[in-house]
Amino acid sequence: MLTDWIFYKGKAILTFVNPGIDLASAPLGTPLTLLGTEVESGAAQRLASLGLRVGSSFALIAKTAGGGRVALVAGSRVALGRSLLAQLWAEVA
Amino acid sequence: MAPISAEELTKLALASTLKPCCQAATDSVGAPEDPLVALVGPPNTGKSTLFNALTGAKVTMGNWPGTTVEVSRGVWKSSSVSATCADGECDCAHCEQPLEISVVDLPGTYSLDPNSPDEALTRELLLDKPLAERPDLSVVTCDASRLTGCLYLVAQLREQGLPMVVALTMVDVARNRGIEVDATSLAKQIGCPVVLVDPRRRNGLAALAATVRTALGRPAPAARRVPVDADDLDLEDDRFSWISEAVEAANGASMRPGPTRSDKVDRWVTAPFFGPVIFLAVMWLVFQLTTAVAAPLQDLLGGLVSGPITAGATAGLGLIGLGGSWVEGLIVNGLIAGVGMLLTFVPLMALMFVLLAVLEDSGYLARAAVVTDRLMRSIGLPGRAFLPLIVGYGCNVPAISATRILPNAKQRILTALLVPFTSCTARLTVFVMMGSVFFGPYAGTAVFAMYVISILIIIVVGLGLRATFWRDEPIEPLVIDLPAYHLPTLRLTASVAWVRLKGFLRTASGIIVVAVCGVWLLQAIPAQPGGSFGAVPVADSVYAAGARAVAPVFAPAGFGSWESTSTLAVGFVAKEAVISSWAQTYAVEQPADGAAPGSLGASVWTSFNQSSGGHPIAAALAFMVFLMAYTPCVATLAAQWREIGPRWTLFGVGMQLTLAWTLAVAIFQIGRLLL
Repeated sequence: MLTDWIFYKGKAILTFVNPGIDLASAPLGTPLTLLGTEVESGAAQRLASLGLRVGSSFALIAKTAGGGRVALVAGSRVALGRSLLAQLWAEVA
Repeated sequence: MAPISAEELTKLALASTLKPCCQAATDSVGAPEDPLVALVGPPNTGKSTLFNALTGAKVTMGNWPGTTVEVSRGVWKSSSVSATCADGECDCAHCEQPLEISVVDLPGTYSLDPNSPDEALTRELLLDKPLAERPDLSVVTCDASRLTGCLYLVAQLREQGLPMVVALTMVDVARNRGIEVDATSLAKQIGCPVVLVDPRRRNGLAALAATVRTALGRPAPAARRVPVDADDLDLEDDRFSWISEAVEAANGASMRPGPTRSDKVDRWVTAPFFGPVIFLAVMWLVFQLTTAVAAPLQDLLGGLVSGPITAGATAGLGLIGLGGSWVEGLIVNGLIAGVGMLLTFVPLMALMFVLLAVLEDSGYLARAAVVTDRLMRSIGLPGRAFLPLIVGYGCNVPAISATRILPNAKQRILTALLVPFTSCTARLTVFVMMGSVFFGPYAGTAVFAMYVISILIIIVVGLGLRATFWRDEPIEPLVIDLPAYHLPTLRLTASVAWVRLKGFLRTASGIIVVAVCGVWLLQAIPAQPGGSFGAVPVADSVYAAGARAVAPVFAPAGFGSWESTSTLAVGFVAKEAVISSWAQTYAVEQPADGAAPGSLGASVWTSFNQSSGGHPIAAALAFMVFLMAYTPCVATLAAQWREIGPRWTLFGVGMQLTLAWTLAVAIFQIGRLLL
C-alpha cells in the first residue's frame, strides 16, 4: 500500500495515497498508468530501463503460466512475474 | 513478413550516417592502428547474431580473465567499404584499405547500472577500465520494434561521450508492427550514427563497416549534457525525456493497433494451461533428440573406433613388431580409446548445440523461462535452469553446456553444480543391472527410486547452496523483454553450433584422453615385483592396489571391496564402462542385456554379500545412490571446467563425493537394520 506524510495542524500524519490497483487485479487489454512501485531498486531500475516507470502508460495483454502477465510497454512485450504484480500499482488511463 | 533487402538497408543506412567516408578521411584524427570494437546492447536485440555475422567462424569463446562471464572475441574483416561513399564510385585510399577490426561481444545489458556480474563486466570494460584499455568504439544494437527499451543504454553511453554507432536491428519486425523508423532523424536526435542492419540475413553489414570506419577516424562526440547537480531521479527524468524525444523524432512510437503474430502465438505458448504443456512437449523433443537420435550415431562412431580403427592399429603395430607390447596397450587402450570416447560425444554435443541455437534464435527460450519461472523459483533458480536440468537426464555433458542460456554467471555456476545430480542414461544401465540382481521383481521400483532421489538431491542441494554461498544473492523477480518470434536461419544455427562444439572439443579432448590413458597406465603397472609392465592382470596392478587401499573408506557403506571400489574409479572416467569393468574384474563375460546379468550378477551378489556382512540389498541400494550422486564422468568435468572454471569444478567434485558417501553410509546403516 502506498503511503505519504501530510501535515495537519502542525502534526505529521501518515496517510494512504490513492494506490489504484495492483497489477494482479488490473484488467487485461486496458490502457493503464503506473502510479507507484514497491519493488527493490534493482528490479525498479530494470523496469524503468524497459520504459515501465511511474507515470508511464502501458497495458496488460495476457496472463502467463505461473500467474504472471505480459505487459505492452512502449512497443515491447515485457513478461512480469507473479511476485512482481502485487508490488506495482496502476490506474486505468 | 518480407525481409528488407540489402540495397534498401544500405540506402537507409547511408542516409543516416554523418558524412561520406572520403570526407571523413580528410578531417580524420587518425583511426587507431589495431582497433577494438565492443558490441553492446540489451538482451535479445540481435547482438550475438550480429557478432556471428561479422566474425564468421573466426571466433574464440571463453570466460573473461578472472571471471566466469563468457565473452566472445573475433576478427571482423570487410573489404566492401567503397560502396559507402556518396556516389558509390569512390576509390580513395581511405576506402580501399581492407577493414580488420577486433570485435568483442560483451554480455547483454539494459543499462550501465549492473544487476549481475555479467552486466558489471560490461560496465567495467566500457567505463571503469583505464582509457587505453577500453574499446575504441562501441556498436550498440537496438531493436527497432522496441526502441524505447533499448535507448536507455544509449542515453547512458552518450552521457559518457564514448565513441559509438547504433546498429538498428529487427527493422522488418518493426515494419510488420506498423513502426517505421526514420534512421536519419534518430541519428540527428541522439548525436551518433545509426545504421540499419539485418544480421540474420547479413544485410547492411557493408554500411555498418563504412560507418564504423568513419567513426573510428573521428574524435569522440561531445558527451550529452545532463542537468547540473541532478539527483538520480532527476537524471532518470532527463534520460526518459531524451528517449521520448528521440523516439518521437524517429517515429518509433507509431504502432499498428491489434495483436502481432507473436502475440497470437504467445496466447498459447505462455498461457496458464497450454504453456506448460507445450513446454513439456518441447523438452520431450529435446530429450529424445539428444538421446534417441544421437545414440545410433554414437554407436556408429564407437563401433568404428573399437572395431576397424582398433583392429587396424593392432595389426599395424604387429607388423612393426610391437604387437602385444605395452606400446600397443598405450596406443589401443589409452590413446585410441580416449579419442574414441571423445568422438562418441560429438554427435550428442552437436545436436545439443544446434537445438540450443534454434531455441534461442526462434525466441522460444524467453517464453520457456516465463512458463517455468514459478516452479524453478521455489528452489531458488530462474526458469531457464529447467532446460539444462532436463537435458541432464539424457546426458550431463551437453546439459552443462546448456547452462550458458542463463544470463547470470552465478546462476550458471549454481545450475552447473546441480546438473551432475541428474541421473543420466549411462547410470541407468548400471541401475537396471543392479535392480535385476538385487531387487528381482521390484527392479523397476528400485530404478524409479533412483530418479526420485535424484530430484530430491537437486532440490535439497539447490536450496542448501543458495542458503550458504548465494545467501545474499536475491532472487530477482521475473522481468523479461519478449523478443518477436523468428524462423531460425540455417547459417546462423550452424555457425553458433560449430563455434560451441569447437570450444567443447578444445577443452574436453585433453582432459578425456589424459584420464583414459591414466587409467590404462595404472592398470598396466604391476603392484608386485616380478610382473611385467603392460601384461599384468588387473587384480595384480597398481590400479587394484590403489582400489584395495581406498576400499575401507566404503566399508561403512557396505561395499568396501576392491572390486566395487575399482568399478567406481572406472565410473569416474565413464559410467558406460562400469559393467564392462566389473566383467573384467570378475573375469566373466559381459552381459549383452543388463536386465539378464547371468554369471556377472552372481559374482556381484557374492561380492556385495561378503563386503556388507550379509546385507547385500542394503549395500546395493547404498552403492546405487553413491553411483547416482558422485561425479558423473570425466567428460562432465571437462564441460564444467570450461563453463564454470577449475575452482567451482573441484568444489563440485568435493561436494558430490561428500554427499554421495554420506548418503550411501546413511542408507546402508539404516538399511541393514531393515533388510
